[in-house]
Amino acid sequence: MIRVENLSKSFGENLVLDNITESIAEGEKVVIIGPSGGGKSTFLRCLNLLEVPTSGQVWVDGVEITAKKVDINAMRRKMGMVFQHFNLFPHKTALGNLTLAPRHTKIMTKAEAEKFGLALLERVGLADKAHQYPAQLSGGQKQRVAIARSLAMRPKIMLFDEPTSALDPEMVGEVLDVMRNLALEGMTMVVVTHEMHFAKDVGDRVLFMCGGQIVEQGRPKEIFTNPQNPRTRQFLNSIL
Amino acid sequence: MWAILASQRPTPPSGWEEGLLYDIWLNLIANNGWQRLLEGFALTLQVTLGGLVLGITFGFVLALMRISRLPPLRWLSTLYITVVRGTPTVLQLMIWVFVILNSPDIPRLLVGIIAFGANSAAYTCEIFRGGILAVDKGQTEAGRSLGLGSGKNMRLIVLPQAIKNSLPSLSNEFITLFKETSLLGFVAITDLTRAANQIRVVTFNAFVPLISAALIYLTVVIILTWALGKLERRLRKGDSR
Repeated sequence: MIRVENLSKSFGENLVLDNITESIAEGEKVVIIGPSGGGKSTFLRCLNLLEVPTSGQVWVDGVEITAKKVDINAMRRKMGMVFQHFNLFPHKTALGNLTLAPRHTKIMTKAEAEKFGLALLERVGLADKAHQYPAQLSGGQKQRVAIARSLAMRPKIMLFDEPTSALDPEMVGEVLDVMRNLALEGMTMVVVTHEMHFAKDVGDRVLFMCGGQIVEQGRPKEIFTNPQNPRTRQFLNSIL
Repeated sequence: MWAILASQRPTPPSGWEEGLLYDIWLNLIANNGWQRLLEGFALTLQVTLGGLVLGITFGFVLALMRISRLPPLRWLSTLYITVVRGTPTVLQLMIWVFVILNSPDIPRLLVGIIAFGANSAAYTCEIFRGGILAVDKGQTEAGRSLGLGSGKNMRLIVLPQAIKNSLPSLSNEFITLFKETSLLGFVAITDLTRAANQIRVVTFNAFVPLISAALIYLTVVIILTWALGKLERRLRKGDSR
């Protein structure tokens, strides 16, 4: 579903991603962990070209999105992204946030988008908040709306960039529950997170990123109980 | 007017024969001073509102040019802003009236509106640009990640928030423009300030006409400040980011 070859990204002199090659299968749930500054978010953002790689190729659903003539807007519609700070549109209601993109990319009519939007809000448990503005919602509710907003485009892949890091502890659970359900439905997911329980429960594979490289990877059980790389061990010791 | 005053010497009503009351009568009533002030005030308002509409429209276009991906548009916008902000407003007004649009066929009032609109545009452009830059980068990332093109993202997500961000500074620009129209006298357009000055010349009394004009400006500014503040608070309600 996603293939990355020799992907590098530098910001000026600073090499953030160092020649990464990796692929992610359809339906797979990949969790990326690692210390901050290790390149996790940048890697994720290269997958939908929010960051343009310095070199290397990215294929999504059989299309090389790093190619010059690709319709990147069409490709991004296949990938939903959820951000640490939600990035909901403050001038739109919850439902307005969900219907904006489907309507204006002409993949749905207004009526279809609203019907689907309401169904999605129902699914994340926020049907009663459809006509509230983001400012009236709690952090956990905002993030659930943000997830629903991405799903409104019927993506094949969902990218999560530390979706619970900006939340108060008591709101983390409700967001992770929504993500768990999504995983159960078979969505292909790439999740950057510090929630190790989630990684263990939901992840098919854990990537440990550090210094711009995937230092170690494997099944969650292996990584968490028997890490091979000293840096992985050091990281896990420091957080568990 | 002075000749009429001198020959007919209308007399003030009883109780108004001396002091400040006499001055008020002489300047505002005896020679229809109030009417002149009112006409001048109407003109001031016309130029302010016309200039504001023109300035906001053109300023918005300039702001879009300024953040455009096409370098020539950016340069043109920057050049325009540099010239307008780097020269005195009164000189710009005179150049519009006596050089650029110096034709008897073009109503001078219209030229005045154009001059102030063109001037105000340079400032509103910077206000809009600031408003656009103040919109969180995450908004664009969210929009683009949903597959919106850059144009749609700008129109549907960034600009509605940018305009809201710009409102407080736009209110200030509105008030500045209102006061700056007092320069219209330099091109012989009788606005409120010039009307007051004309009364002064006729009555040889400066205090009453000038202070009256000042009070009119002040009253309007106070009302505007209050009304715009109220509008702003209403727009901000329910929007805390």
